[in-house]
Amino acid sequence: MAETAHALPLDPLEPRDLVAPHHDDKSLNETLLDHVWRKPGKGWFMLLGMTSAALGLLVIGVTYTLARGIGVWGNNQPVGWAFDIINFVWWVGIGHAGTLISAILLLFQQKWRTSINRFAEAMTLFAVMCAGLFPLLHTGRPWFAFWLFPYPSTLGAWAQFRSPLVWDVFAISTYLTVSALFWFVGLIPDLAALRDSSKTKLQRTIYGLFALGWRGSGRHWHNYKVGYLLLAGLSTPLVVSVHTIVSFDFAVSQIPGWHATIFPPYFVAGAVFSGFAMVITLIVPARKYLGLRDVITDRHLENMNKVILATGLLVSYGYLMEHFIAWYSMNQYEFWTFYVNRATGPYAGVYWLMITCNVVTPNIFWFKKARTSIPIMWVASIAVNIGMWCERFIIIVTSLSQDFLPSSWDIYTPTWVDWCIYIGTLGLFGTLFLLFLKFVPAVAVSEVKELQLELKHAAHAAHGNGHHGSDAAATHGAH
Amino acid sequence: MEAKVLDSWVLAEFATPEALVSATQQMREKGFQGMDTYSPYPLHGGSEALGLPPSRMPFIALGGGLTGMVTALTMQTWMNTIDYPLNVGGRPLLSLPAWVPITFELSVLFAAFGIFFGLLGLSKLPQPYHPAFESEEFRSASTHGYWLSIPHPTGTDAADVKNQLTALGATHVTVVSGENE
Repeated sequence: MAETAHALPLDPLEPRDLVAPHHDDKSLNETLLDHVWRKPGKGWFMLLGMTSAALGLLVIGVTYTLARGIGVWGNNQPVGWAFDIINFVWWVGIGHAGTLISAILLLFQQKWRTSINRFAEAMTLFAVMCAGLFPLLHTGRPWFAFWLFPYPSTLGAWAQFRSPLVWDVFAISTYLTVSALFWFVGLIPDLAALRDSSKTKLQRTIYGLFALGWRGSGRHWHNYKVGYLLLAGLSTPLVVSVHTIVSFDFAVSQIPGWHATIFPPYFVAGAVFSGFAMVITLIVPARKYLGLRDVITDRHLENMNKVILATGLLVSYGYLMEHFIAWYSMNQYEFWTFYVNRATGPYAGVYWLMITCNVVTPNIFWFKKARTSIPIMWVASIAVNIGMWCERFIIIVTSLSQDFLPSSWDIYTPTWVDWCIYIGTLGLFGTLFLLFLKFVPAVAVSEVKELQLELKHAAHAAHGNGHHGSDAAATHGAH
Repeated sequence: MEAKVLDSWVLAEFATPEALVSATQQMREKGFQGMDTYSPYPLHGGSEALGLPPSRMPFIALGGGLTGMVTALTMQTWMNTIDYPLNVGGRPLLSLPAWVPITFELSVLFAAFGIFFGLLGLSKLPQPYHPAFESEEFRSASTHGYWLSIPHPTGTDAADVKNQLTALGATHVTVVSGENE
């Protein structure tokens, strides 16, 4: 990797070579916008075919559910929350990496985020859309979903603001809205670049419409920089709050296995864990297909793997604490849930798969060889995604199916409709993602250009002594 | 209606961002007002060169956030405490701790809307037509060009401004005029 050029002190705030150095603005423009102008290849169409087929399953599953009612799902008494809530939490968690990469890393001035943030934010948006579908359908009559919002109804009843389920409605809709705004604000300069490098009048009109007339004015940038940073600042606590609120859905109840104070931080860590894993799963093939190796370098992947390792350890700590508290509290129901039911009960297979994927797998990233090996990280990231899905399954299904009274225990099995809807949302996500890759720059072009300039200045400053022309060095020194 | 010239600009392209910033600085020192720079990404030192006052965005965001907070607290208190009091397991009617999540979410939501619409408002966007787009070369401003605009040149002044910009290292100088009905 490009760390050979100069022995910079390892100040994490100092920009380092994250973009292949041979690029200037014009060539970056060509490289990064190329995939929008190029005709999509066979691979893209094949993938689109696959995801659209999966999307078809969603249509079938949803139509059947709406026509027959949610009795066609495997949900029963006592397992009233099953696939829909598992998938809801899973998708929301996946969405979190996007905001984290964009927002938290921007605030910490982690320059390496620049190349992956657009990608990750798109992932957030689409994942949250998929997530939103599940509670909506779970209401049974989604056409009355507006009942969840406080609106002046003729019944004179207001929403119950002491309920975590209403908090959820506000959290998820705020999250979707703010993510969309953040994504769009970041896109405006790139849409303008697309408008101005378009080849046909139609392209120019369409991208021009979305670019809102952006022309890179210094007076606009002046406000834009501050506004973008503030949006990032807002998104950061938002991410933490959203998954905290999702965890409240469980934690405020009395069910053994749910009633735990560790839930909010443990859910947030799990969300980051699965989100980063999903970024790896998607970015590895995408950067190859889009030819973006120059801007999404191996170093980015390695950094993300380090985040996966760190959050994996946090999640493992969460499991450890749950088990510890179950033993330490001497609560027989908790003890049963953690030491008997989950580990040896009817869903023991899912439990051990979860432990293997979430506790064992991330530890391979202690080794640099694994962190930098594309096949290993790709397989590991998929394992983590599976593991986190299993975690939600374990939390929800094992706790509900066997709680206090053995007389009210029951086994849950998903039906074909459950699977259709789940696989269908994967199709929806994939389809939206492929369309995104086709029509919008997958990498934030203006930010990469800015980063490139900063890197040049940093290199000049590091070589120092003015033999690179005092102009650039002086400008760098000025800020 | 007959088209009439609304205003005119001298547009000058510079080879590097550094050249643009230093030219802007020097032109401002000469007393030119209302100039603007155009670049594909924010220029370092660009705002200072244009002599812009600090951005008002933080105040707009704060205003949005406070509005959201007050809205959420009032809404929840009025709806669940006054208009439709619900006794849930003997919990107090004014359950402030339970109001926290929604208050936080709405504060963030309103602040984000404030930032977004504030940004559009301060930048006078969307603005699909701008006279600068009359110049085809100017389109590089969003991809790889660094431009400076100086408003309202007239007659011989325009030629003078063009000469001054060329002397400061502009690689391409042109005059555009905006037409409207």
